[in-house]
Order: sequence, then structure tokens, then C-alpha cells
Amino acid sequence: MSKFRDTVRSYRRQLYAVMRNEYATIFSDKGVMLVMIFALLIYPTIYSLGYGAEVLRNVPVGVVDMSKTAASRHLIDAVGMGPNTVVAYELSDMTEAQRKFYDRDIYGILYIPNDYEQKLLGGQMATVSIYLDASYMLMYRQAFQEMVAGINTTGAMVEFQRLIAKGAHMPQAKAITQPVIYESHALFNPYLGYGTFVMPPIIIVIIQQTLLVGIGMIGGTWREHGIYGKLKPAGSRRMSTFPIVVGKALAYASLYAVTTFYLMTVHYRLFHYPMNGRTLTIVIFLAMYVFACIFMGIALSTLFRRRENSLMMLLWTSIPIFLLSGASYPSEAMPEWLRQIAYIFPSTHGAPGFVRIQSMGASLGDVWPEVRALVRLIVIYMGLSFIGIHFLVENDLADRIRHRWHRRVARNRIARESSQKA
Amino acid sequence: MRFLRNIYAAFARELRRIWDFPSYMMLLTVLPVVSFAFFAVVFESGIPHDLPIAVVDNDHSSLSRKLTQMIDAAPETAVRYGITDMDEGQRLIREGKIHAVVLIPSFFEKNILSNTQTHVEAYVSGVNILTNGLISKDLQTTVTTFGVGIQLQILMKQGLTEAQAMSQAMPVRFDKHVLFNPYTNYGYYLSPSFMPMMIMIFTVLATVFALGSELRYSTAKDWIGSAGSSFGAAITGKLLPVFMSMTVMSLLMFFILFDIINVPLNGSFGMLFAGCLVFILSYMGIAVFVVAVTADLRLALSLGGGYSVLAFTFSGLSFPIMAMYGGVRIFSRIFPFTYFTDMIVDQALRGAPVSYSLPDMSYMLLFLLLPAVVLPRLYRISTDSRYWGKM
Repeated sequence: MSKFRDTVRSYRRQLYAVMRNEYATIFSDKGVMLVMIFALLIYPTIYSLGYGAEVLRNVPVGVVDMSKTAASRHLIDAVGMGPNTVVAYELSDMTEAQRKFYDRDIYGILYIPNDYEQKLLGGQMATVSIYLDASYMLMYRQAFQEMVAGINTTGAMVEFQRLIAKGAHMPQAKAITQPVIYESHALFNPYLGYGTFVMPPIIIVIIQQTLLVGIGMIGGTWREHGIYGKLKPAGSRRMSTFPIVVGKALAYASLYAVTTFYLMTVHYRLFHYPMNGRTLTIVIFLAMYVFACIFMGIALSTLFRRRENSLMMLLWTSIPIFLLSGASYPSEAMPEWLRQIAYIFPSTHGAPGFVRIQSMGASLGDVWPEVRALVRLIVIYMGLSFIGIHFLVENDLADRIRHRWHRRVARNRIARESSQKA
Repeated sequence: MRFLRNIYAAFARELRRIWDFPSYMMLLTVLPVVSFAFFAVVFESGIPHDLPIAVVDNDHSSLSRKLTQMIDAAPETAVRYGITDMDEGQRLIREGKIHAVVLIPSFFEKNILSNTQTHVEAYVSGVNILTNGLISKDLQTTVTTFGVGIQLQILMKQGLTEAQAMSQAMPVRFDKHVLFNPYTNYGYYLSPSFMPMMIMIFTVLATVFALGSELRYSTAKDWIGSAGSSFGAAITGKLLPVFMSMTVMSLLMFFILFDIINVPLNGSFGMLFAGCLVFILSYMGIAVFVVAVTADLRLALSLGGGYSVLAFTFSGLSFPIMAMYGGVRIFSRIFPFTYFTDMIVDQALRGAPVSYSLPDMSYMLLFLLLPAVVLPRLYRISTDSRYWGKM
């Protein structure tokens, strides 16, 4: 019984020693501070500022009007009426239009042929052409939507007038012109803001990546500085695995509790991102996510021999991991085996789960598959952390014994040589 | 001649160091290839198809079923759930199983047949604006086509011929010409920007490590000595392996882009490749600058890496620079990446004349002033042991 109490006391002492050491390392090392604290404040802010305007308005388009009539004027006005495009140039021909394209002065062209009005007056079908620059996705979409809307409204107007002229009643003419009205509502992000779309998953991925890199840096430091030896309790041969893993995890978790709290409250309010989730749901989900990342970080950190290695090996993975989370690029477009590999990253479950909770107001039950995956990852990576740290401690012990042995051999040799000389 | 021999000596020493530091070697060989392979796999399939949606059909008529079928048959949308009310639809959206719910009201068919306007409502999740765009466009087109079909039937019942009915239903028609990226393929948008991003990250990290590790492991004296104490030869020989590796990697990147993902190459490949070499050099220059200023390997890695991953957001490829706030627009100019992606768009997608890429090229060359300014300081920290050994 007293042995058990001794073990508990020793564990507690080692746990405190590990946590003290982790805090000291984090706050005394500029490289680690930059990754584990400042990155969480700087990146979300800079990215959010980049996407701060949220929506793209007034995409400049050009018009080549060969008809130059009242009817064509009317069409041009209809195209320029919406908020997303503005008719910036009236061009004389297509060669001029092409130059404006290359100069990035316009992103779309409306070409109206010279028989436009004539055909409309004659009760025939008039054909106009639109040319769209598809090398920038968002520009293409805004210009396309607005030009098509302008053309369709004009067409409906012409049709309506023709029906009325033929003696149809207003409601009847309306019903023939447009039998089915289509109304579309964008849920959770009514203006389709770009920042509102990408920032929540980006924040989640930043949390994971900074944890993986930061923990890896500190892990490399432990090995280089032989901290396993320095922190071992007096009288025992080596440190115990359990207090190392738990102490590290608690130190990082407490740090990230503060930074994540800042992101979820101050940052979210500053940039007006949707906050539809229940507080308790968010706290529980993010806590699970952060622990999954931390244990993955500890498990990975046992592979790094030098402090700079984690950054060099992991920095590039941020974009692939962001894509794999499926929160921006639809995961439906990825091959099945790649999605299965993505399972090992907490962000694959954390990003979509968090977005559904925070942006859509989902409950824990709604994100149950994600919750289950995160719990699994926590268990697996905790196990791997114990195994990895256990080996490191053993190796460290073996190293120290070897060093002591080498020193003794060397001392003996020197003693022998000096005695021979004497 | 002696200068060349000195460069070669520093070069040979650097190759041995690459062999000695496995992570350094990984940066120059394995990791770029792995990352390119990743993007090739992700973007090879191009456009996502058949995004799952649900339909609430309150009418249960042949016309409402016809519309449901048309929505299902459209390329981007697939009707995976037939549900009875909106609550169920909202739950499915929250569970991430569907992206949208289409609501067909009761009396849909009756209204259409009695010449009364009716309506179809779609609730599309805006959380992902990419899928939202694809689905909204598809639904809009489908419902419009459905409406025109009905108009034609009504008009033809009134005694018009099909051609007459058509010109009555659609007095203004349009031809659509999609320039530069005719299939509006997401792979074509994203892969030419993500892959250079990888080249940039590996260039910066490898360059920072090449120089910074000499300080950290206190081997700078040996490095300069190996090049016969010629600082110019020492730095050229040291950075040559990084530049060579990244040149090979950029060729691999272009191969994957143009021959595997099939991004169109409408302009001058020579210009694009020359631009890529300048792009690599400009980021090497920035890395040299960061090492010289910080004189600390890990801080330089964190700063250099941190700076390079910012570039994507401000390149304007995803969210256009035009739409950004004024101050942010200026900020977007401090990344060579912004100019290089402009070049890719001009030379690969648009096939613009070569002269359009010359300004971008010269802006990237301007970044080479950065290392030139700090060379004296780099010399000082490489020869003064007080700057060495910083862990």
C-alpha cells in the first residue's frame, strides 16, 4: 500500500516537473512561441483581413454593341444593373475587347449583333454572345450570373410585352412567360461570403498544424538536451512514461484552451463569423479535437531527433491536410482510398464537424460520426504516445549507461597509461 | 578558374551535408515528389459530380416527379433522399449528408395546367460556396429548362409551330463562350497555384537550413574555408544544390500539370519556365535575407515558413485581389508568388503574348535586392563565432 502511495507521489512530482519544464520551454523559446502562440493570433487575423471584404462586387465587363439601338441599350442597362458586375467599357470591336481581357481590365464581354433590334421587332429570336474569363473562378461566376440574369430578364420582358400586345391578360401573360418561379436561399451564409466559408475550417487546421509542429520542436529539444535525464526523480533510474505524456498533454491543452477561447470569442466577433453553435457543444467538441491533435503531436514528436525537424517535415502538409478535410474542396471529388488515408488526421473530422456545429447549429448527435472518429484517434494516438515516449526514455537510459561506461573505460585507460609512464 | 574550383569545393561539401542531414535531403527530394503526387491524385478527376441533395415533393404528381428526375439527371446534383418535410431536410444538412433541399409545393401540377404561376424553392447550404455555386447553377438551369418546356407546350397548344413557340418563349438567346478554362475545371484553378506553393515552401526551408545550420552547428568557418575563403564562391556553391533540385522539381511539376492533370498550355512554355526559375531565385533570396537578419536557424525557419504559407491567400486566385480592402491589396504585392501566379494564368491558361509577363518577371527580380542588401551582415555572422551555436 505504501509502495502504491510512493508511486503516486513520484508520478505527481514528475508530472509537475514535466509541466513546469514545458511552460518554461515554450515561453523561453522564440521559435516555439512563434508557432504555438503568435501563429494562432497572427494567421487567423491576416487571413481574415485578406478575405475581409467577403463578397466580390462590381466585376468590370465590356460591351461590344454593334446594334446601337434603344433595344440594345436596354439590354446593356439590364446587364449592368445587378450588384456583381459593372459595364466598365463600351468597345468598338472584339480585338479591342481581347486586349482589355489580357490587361485584366474586364472579365466578361457582351456582344450584341447589329440585327438585334430588328429581330426582336420582327417577332424573331435574337442571339447575343457572352464571353467569360474563366481563369479566375469567382470573377467567372459573378460575371456569368449577372449577365445571364440581365439577358433573361430582358427576354422575359420582351415576351411579356408581345403577349400583352396580342391581347393576353396580365396574370395569364405572367404565367406563360414564367410558369415556374425559382427561388434559391443560401442557408447559414446568406451573402455567400468567402471568409465565412473558408475561415472556420482554416482556424481548425491552424490549431492542428501549430500543435503538431510546436510539440515536435519541443520533443526534439528534449532529446537534444537530454531532459529525460535531468527531470528524473532523485533515486530512480529513469522517468516514468505516464507523467511525461499526461504532463505534456495538460501543458499544451491549457495553453490552447486560452488561444482557442480567444479565437472563438474575440476573433469570431471581430470578423462576424456565424456563431450558431451551443457553447457547451463547441467546448466539448473542440476539447476532443485539441486532445486528438495533442496526442498525435506527442506521438509524432518521438520521431524527431532535432528541434528544427518538425517544422521542416510538417509545414508543407498544411495545404494538403486542409484539402483533405473536405471543408473547402468537396471530398466527393476525391478518390475513396485518399479519403481513408485522411482519416488519420484529426482535422478531417474536426473541420467539418466544427463547421456544422458552429455555422449550422448542429448538436453533438448530428456530428456523431466525427465525435466517434475523434475519440478513436485520441485512444490510438495516446497509445502511440505512451509507446513512443517509453522507448525514448529507455533509449535515453541506455544512452546514459553507455556514456557512463565509455567515460569509465576512458578514465581507466588514462589511469593505466599514466601509471605505465610513472 | 580558381573561383570555379572554390565553388565546386563548396558544392561538393554541401552535397555531403545533404547526405548527413536526412531531413534536409527529404526537403530536396522525397517531399516535393510526394506533394506533387498528392495534388495530381486530388485534381485529376476535376469537377465533383453528383453532389447529394434531397427533394421534398408535396405534390406527388407526374410533373413534380418529372422535375425531380430532371434534377437528379443534372450533372452536379443527385437526389439521394426523398423526404416528407423541411425539418428532416435541415437535419440531413446538419448531419452533412446533403448540401441542399428542393421544395416542390402542393398544387404544383394543378397550377401549371391552369396557367397560374407556381414556384420551386431551393435551400442550398452556403457553408461551402464552391458546392453552393455548383448546385445553385445546376438547379437554376434545370428549373429554367423545365419552365421553358412547359411554355413551349402551352404555346404550341395555342396553335404556334415549334419554331414560333421557341422564339416566343425565348426572344433573346445567348451563346456562351467560356474562355481560357472551357470546362471550368477546379483542378485547373487550384493545381497551378498549389504546386508552385509547394516549390516555394521547400525552397525557403531548404535555403534557410543550408545557411542556418552552419550557424547552429558552428560549422560556418569550415564552410567558408572549404571555398578557399572566398565568400562569393562559398555562398554560390552552397545554394547551387538547392537551386538545381528545385529546377528539376519545377520540370516535374510542369510535367504533372500539363500532361497528367491536363491543364491547358496556351502560351509560351519558355517564358513560364524562365519565370519559374526567377520565382525560385526570388524565394531563395528572401530565405537568405531572413537568415541574415535573424542569425538563428529555428527562428528563421519559423519566420520564413510562416511568410511563405501566407502567399496563397493574397495571390488573388481564390479570392480576387480586386475585392480585397485597399491596405490588403498593397500587402498582396510583397509575395513573389502573386506575380508568378499571374504569369501562370497568362502563359498557361490565357495564352497572352509574352510581353504581358515581363512586368511580373521584373517585379520578381526586384526581390533579389533583399539578399544583396544583407550580404555584408551575412558575411559578418558567418565569420564571427559569437553568432554561432544558437540552439
